[in-house]
Amino acid sequence: MLKRWPGFVLIIALLVMWEIASKTGIVDSVSMPPVSQVFTTWGGIIANGELLNYLLPSLGRIFSGFLLAALVAVPLGLLMGTTPFIYRLLEPITELIRPIPASAYIPVAILFLGIENEMKVFVIFLSSLFPILLNTYSGVRGVDPILIDTGRTFGVSKMKSLFKIILPAALPSILTGMRVSVGIALVVAVVAEMITGNSGIGYFILDMQRIFRVAEMFAGIFTLGIIGYLINFGFLKVEQYFLRWRGNTGGV
Amino acid sequence: MNLSNVYELGTDNEMQIETGRPKTLIHIEGVNKEFSVNKNKITVFENFSYKIPEGSFLSIVGPSGCGKSTLLKLISGLETPTSGTINFDGQVISGPPKGMIYVFQQYTKSIFPWYTVLENIEFGLNTQKKNISKQEAKERCMEYIKLVGLEGYEDYYPSQLSGGMQQRVVIARALICEPKVLLMDEPFSAVDAMTRAILQELLLSIWEKLPITILFVTHDVDEAVFLSSHIISLGKAPIGLKEDIVVNLPYPRNQIDTRKSKHFTTMQLKLFSSIFSQEKGQA
Repeated sequence: MLKRWPGFVLIIALLVMWEIASKTGIVDSVSMPPVSQVFTTWGGIIANGELLNYLLPSLGRIFSGFLLAALVAVPLGLLMGTTPFIYRLLEPITELIRPIPASAYIPVAILFLGIENEMKVFVIFLSSLFPILLNTYSGVRGVDPILIDTGRTFGVSKMKSLFKIILPAALPSILTGMRVSVGIALVVAVVAEMITGNSGIGYFILDMQRIFRVAEMFAGIFTLGIIGYLINFGFLKVEQYFLRWRGNTGGV
Repeated sequence: MNLSNVYELGTDNEMQIETGRPKTLIHIEGVNKEFSVNKNKITVFENFSYKIPEGSFLSIVGPSGCGKSTLLKLISGLETPTSGTINFDGQVISGPPKGMIYVFQQYTKSIFPWYTVLENIEFGLNTQKKNISKQEAKERCMEYIKLVGLEGYEDYYPSQLSGGMQQRVVIARALICEPKVLLMDEPFSAVDAMTRAILQELLLSIWEKLPITILFVTHDVDEAVFLSSHIISLGKAPIGLKEDIVVNLPYPRNQIDTRKSKHFTTMQLKLFSSIFSQEKGQA
């Protein structure tokens, strides 16, 4: 933490510059109110619960979409990684759908699922699916054959080998996929909420901009920054726990 | 040590091997093995037969590409012969049999990095005995941790251990299964010379302590003579078995005294020149 002080100083310096620019009129104080006002407003909407009312639905969508994606992608990835036929069957279609930005299938999802939660969770699910799927099957395919043969010489059944050897060996890759996914889930949730509906932090930010409550708008954006940071931080801790065996040096 | 004494002991030892350990544990019968590499058929074994006596320490030597490792893989059931059979304890091998554990040359790829030393060894135990208490399992693991000299390291992860220590973990994980046969593919080739010498003595002491047959592939003639009761030297197909040697050196052996004996040097040189001339012929 102490070594990171230059980074914190830079953030504080930028905020101070913002404050001065807004107060002296260098920038339009209506579009960019002083940062002190943003913080005061932020404190206010946290205290009266308004922010939380908008944030909770977003978090709910992100985590349910992400969780569903993980529940589908990990088993499917294991299957693709261990069964050549399934891999050859699903790999081309995966590679075709994967590059399409998730925001592009929001209109399609609206047609089938409407504009409420189902659509948003589905879009988050779909966009989170591919990074986990891809990292799972490439992780599984990357497991050293010697490790699998080690299981065989000890008489471990194929099923047991999947859970005792292949899954833990592919875990670093799977967790990386999950961390990428959860970041994408946050982006897609905000976009989906901005396009339709009347709940969620994405809707809040857009709505505040429309009714010229610009300080609230910025408070919403700051909140997203904090949430994104916390999610990533939490995930790194999870990775650290599950991959503690790798050691500080990153292994031999 | 008196040299004539060594010879005498050596002869005794040979007699003991021939009369006291006559049972064939592994019987290789008319094995052919072909690989196809880039559409070319490569024959590694052609009508290869051999009987491995129970309790022996058999080293397999030969020039590179003669199929030493392939032979070990065939016996282990990890590979299947193109034709012919391999019998183990009266059963035809079709897949890795119980009672045989293969120890890979690349121990860093064979050890489970997400398990501690203790958990790695427990993995071996769990594949064998189902109904023992947690306490009992831990005690058994500790026994084998002591056997390979890793006390105090049981809670370390492999990434925190040296190469030699990782190889000890892999050996302990195999031994706890109490296999009848330990198949070792150049297990010490990737550790430094001193560690290798120590691990060789360790392996010998384990072999003498336990009722176990060891098949040991090595490219190192010195290592083969030092460790083995029997050595076979292979040539490239269709030569197959080139030499079948009984090593008349007394056990227990140790790195200093065994190497001092004239018999050791003679045998080592003879074997070395035989393989060297083959390698040279190809180069």
